[in-house]
Amino acid sequence: MTRYLLRRLAFLVVSLVLASVVLFLLLRMLPGDPANALTSVGASPEQIAAARHSIGSDKPLPEQFTHWIGQLASGDLGTSFVSSLPVGPEVLARLNVTVPLTLAAFVLAVVIAVPAGFAAAYKRHTWYGALLSGISQLGIAVPVFWLGMILIAVFALNAGWLPAGGFPPDGWAQPAEAVRSLILPVVTIALVMSASLIRYVRSATLDVLDSDYLRTARALGSSFSGAMWRHGLRNASVPVISVLGMELASTLLGAVVVESVYALPGLGSFLATGISQHDYPVIQGVLFVSTLAVLVIGFAADLVQRIIDPRLRDRLSGGAR
Amino acid sequence: MSIKKTSVFSVATAAALAVTLTACGGGTGAGSASGAYDKNATVNIGSLYEPQNLDNTAGGGQGVTEALNGNVYEGLFRLTDDGKVEKLLAQDYKVSDDGLTYTFTLRDGVKFHSGKTLTSADVKYSLEKVLGKDSQSARKSNLEVVKDIATPDARTVKVTLSKKSISFVYNLSYVWIINSQAKNLKSTEDGTGPYKLNKWTRGSALSLDRFAGYWGHAAASKQVVFHYYKDATALNNALLTNAVDVVTSEQSPDALAQFKNNQNYKITDGNSTTKLLLAFNDKAKPFTDVRVRQAVSAAIDDKKLLESVWGGYGKLIGSMVPPTDPWYEDLTKVNAYDPAKAKQLLAEAGYKNGFDITLDTPNYDPHPTAATFIKSQLAKVGITVKINTITPDEWYTKVYQNHDFTATLQEHVNDRDLVWYGNPDFYWGYDNKQVQQWVAQSEEASTAAGQTALLKKVNRKTAEDAASDWLYLYPQIVVASSKLSGYPHNGLNSQFFAYDIKKTG
Amino acid sequence: MTGVQKTGQAPEETGRTPGTSSATPAKSVESAKQGARRSYTLIAGCVLAGLIVLLAAVSFVWLPYAPDDTSGTRLAAPGAGHLLGTDKLGRDLFTQLMTGSRIAVEAGLGSVLTAALIGVSLGVLSAFALGWLDDTLAAFLDILIAFPTLLLAMLIVAARSATLGSAVLAIGLAQSAVVARLVRILVKRVLAQDYITAARTSGTSWPRVVAGHVLPNIWPTLVVNLALQFGLAVLAEASLSYLGLGAPPPNASWGRMLQEAQATFTTAPAGALAPGVLLVLLVIGVNLIADGLRDTLDPTARRRRA
Repeated sequence: MTRYLLRRLAFLVVSLVLASVVLFLLLRMLPGDPANALTSVGASPEQIAAARHSIGSDKPLPEQFTHWIGQLASGDLGTSFVSSLPVGPEVLARLNVTVPLTLAAFVLAVVIAVPAGFAAAYKRHTWYGALLSGISQLGIAVPVFWLGMILIAVFALNAGWLPAGGFPPDGWAQPAEAVRSLILPVVTIALVMSASLIRYVRSATLDVLDSDYLRTARALGSSFSGAMWRHGLRNASVPVISVLGMELASTLLGAVVVESVYALPGLGSFLATGISQHDYPVIQGVLFVSTLAVLVIGFAADLVQRIIDPRLRDRLSGGAR
Repeated sequence: MSIKKTSVFSVATAAALAVTLTACGGGTGAGSASGAYDKNATVNIGSLYEPQNLDNTAGGGQGVTEALNGNVYEGLFRLTDDGKVEKLLAQDYKVSDDGLTYTFTLRDGVKFHSGKTLTSADVKYSLEKVLGKDSQSARKSNLEVVKDIATPDARTVKVTLSKKSISFVYNLSYVWIINSQAKNLKSTEDGTGPYKLNKWTRGSALSLDRFAGYWGHAAASKQVVFHYYKDATALNNALLTNAVDVVTSEQSPDALAQFKNNQNYKITDGNSTTKLLLAFNDKAKPFTDVRVRQAVSAAIDDKKLLESVWGGYGKLIGSMVPPTDPWYEDLTKVNAYDPAKAKQLLAEAGYKNGFDITLDTPNYDPHPTAATFIKSQLAKVGITVKINTITPDEWYTKVYQNHDFTATLQEHVNDRDLVWYGNPDFYWGYDNKQVQQWVAQSEEASTAAGQTALLKKVNRKTAEDAASDWLYLYPQIVVASSKLSGYPHNGLNSQFFAYDIKKTG
Repeated sequence: MTGVQKTGQAPEETGRTPGTSSATPAKSVESAKQGARRSYTLIAGCVLAGLIVLLAAVSFVWLPYAPDDTSGTRLAAPGAGHLLGTDKLGRDLFTQLMTGSRIAVEAGLGSVLTAALIGVSLGVLSAFALGWLDDTLAAFLDILIAFPTLLLAMLIVAARSATLGSAVLAIGLAQSAVVARLVRILVKRVLAQDYITAARTSGTSWPRVVAGHVLPNIWPTLVVNLALQFGLAVLAEASLSYLGLGAPPPNASWGRMLQEAQATFTTAPAGALAPGVLLVLLVIGVNLIADGLRDTLDPTARRRRA
């Protein structure tokens, strides 16, 4: 186990560094001039040159690279080309929106999906089992932005119960407003996420219900719930946890659309702005933090799986399901 | 990045309007709304234009002008509603007979937000900042006539020009007077305006608090907060749900139906100087031929386009000059919509069977919509348009810097920007020696009348030459809660004087 | 997946842990019954998706109006002249929906083909590779999967400008990671079977093993997964278009239609609802096909394996 942990950790660091270097080079290969965000129509060639100089994009690539590596080594994510503000604190500020959003949506999705998925499997021959499966089919097919549009129209514009978007300027210093402004986005993500989770939980449960060991346990006199609790849950949760890890990671990174629909100042919208302005330090900073999060979440999911299911412990990489 | 951010020119309607309202307010109260307003109110302003940083000489963009100009920072002068210049931090000024030396006397008792008193050294510093090597100010090239800045005493600034510049004082209204000792101007401020910066939360909001030490009339409301949205729908939704009290510049006319005939909202349709251009590359075939440019201009039904995009708002223009510029003339009749004539002109130019062009179209509204419309219009006279959607960044490199295009769409927000036709190296490549001469002479004219007469000639000539196709003038629509009064109606996208906004209950 | 959904791949086959798929005799009657019911699923899916594909196919030969005909009254309500009304340029909404269905189907097909091509190659390679290379590939795939399609699309758009091709490339690339990971697991599972070892010891070459044993064993699961990826690709393209990163105007992509109609949701709801409904129908249709396929294909696969 220790050996596994060490290898996994070393792997995490190496991937992170590699990903960052590749990204640095990739960004510089893209067409587009980051200085353009600073100049305006009417700018003279001198002003354009001055803009390039001020952000250092006129320097040779190796020099830019060593500068950036040096910064990173000292824990500094660099300074935005456009705002001249440090990227690190900005990323943290955005995480104040994105992390609560993602986690709340994730928890809500799990709370909906686990019982619903179980019911859909256990009661699959009843009408409500079928209905649950049907609803999850529908949920998977609904684009998240469209759901957002509809929820805004119904609950914000018509009913006036919740804000249509935005986040309080003082953030969590205004806790009530902050929570209110996250309710619809959380519900939007959770509904779509739970739709696909229901299917995973349902199929994992089906596997367990069909399994020999459950039948054996029942034959040996265990009550259904007892057998389910002792054997079923553990076996069903292994594949589900792997999926959960993936969902959590990609939601964290993929909240751009929801942030766009609800005008939330999260990590996704920060990244989107960064990309549209070719603000390389911002793109690099956000992606560095996100890659770290993905790797750590993957690691954690793997670890949990191993703790639940000892059979997996001799395996190195966790991805296999 | 938005190209629009360059709107340094702004109609200072707000200023004049504001002055009137304040005057009345000081008396017995101007109307019911402003009579009993809440002095401790927070006014929430919704906008699409977040500053990139807080320094207007470092690429702060359109948003920084909107939020800070006149509110946080003030110039020696400011523009009034009808485009005239009004003294602000300059109490008085004198021009020498040769028109080369300007002597400004500063207003007494002006304090920066940091507490320091305004002196001539700050004015010198501020001007030099605009002219500096790293300056991204859009005014830089106009102010480069400044040869020397002297400060004989703490309240006097003496500026010597290298040649006459009739627009000098006008241009000074875009120069913020900043404390010469201020630091970190990209994320903080030190101006003299009625509001001081409270907090800027990037990606979300910028809040301003009333400055107790302001030299003039104190700001009407205790606090104003600019809330930033990335798209017009989210912004309108915010207004509909009372998250904001006013939208600085409505960009989604279709949404106006929600506010019309609703007593909770007021819609004002002010003057704008933002023009939508179909800019030809006048140096590239087939647009080297004036007849082709005229034909394209005549083939597009601008009225229908305006109706499609803005649904009854906005105005038609026949040239680069909006009605608020002193040299405005109605030239909509020149190269007016006439598909038959367009076909005839094309035949004369040797394009009887039309031709194919690529239209470089910025990817944000209204450009894609306009491009779609133009494509269908030009198809009727045999011209096949391929729409090439590009990002603002691409536009800037490909079209603006490299002149690598045939035709493009772009909005130009500045007033008085007709003079760009006097620069043959500008992206559209309009090269007419006579026009260049007129433009140069107009700047050195001794009187405003002389300047106006020359620029009128430029206006007519460029219109007749169809140097570009000026599709329409944007409307300037402000939608506000009926609880609000005293907000600027014409304040362009880039300028939004907030200090006289009053909110009831 | 919030932004652009892609991880929701076929749960019912990847979710199965090895060894739990053995059907007991008692269940076979029920399986048969289920099979019959599931073929209805297939039919329902084919009807729904077929409807949209038909719409797309017809759009090539006939449209109610020319796609760029702006002669209608702007934002006309649904009625006789315009079945679903018009958009703000006066273009017929139904016409746009039809050309939009074309883009949706093209996006789905293009992405899935890209994903299959790259994904299967990478997956097989990874499955055959040993030790660190396999680990590295697996981890690389994990990172790629967790990365939003959207981000990839933004970068590709930044490099190639916004076209349907850019969007398809981005979606295809992102999905190829999912496909590759699935293929890797499936192939490994097959390679662990005794008969492969037997075949190898009897001197069968690797290419023949792949062609003769591996591919026949994995294709049912693969096809089902690709069908699901099709639906996800359609959703992804809509999201990208919604953000202005998909097919540029004047092409009518459902995602962009929805984005444009958002401003008039309350005043002219047809434009903000119709594209969404078609989108949902198409995706449900394709997902039902995937479900149906699994139940017709997988039992045979299982029987063969057993």
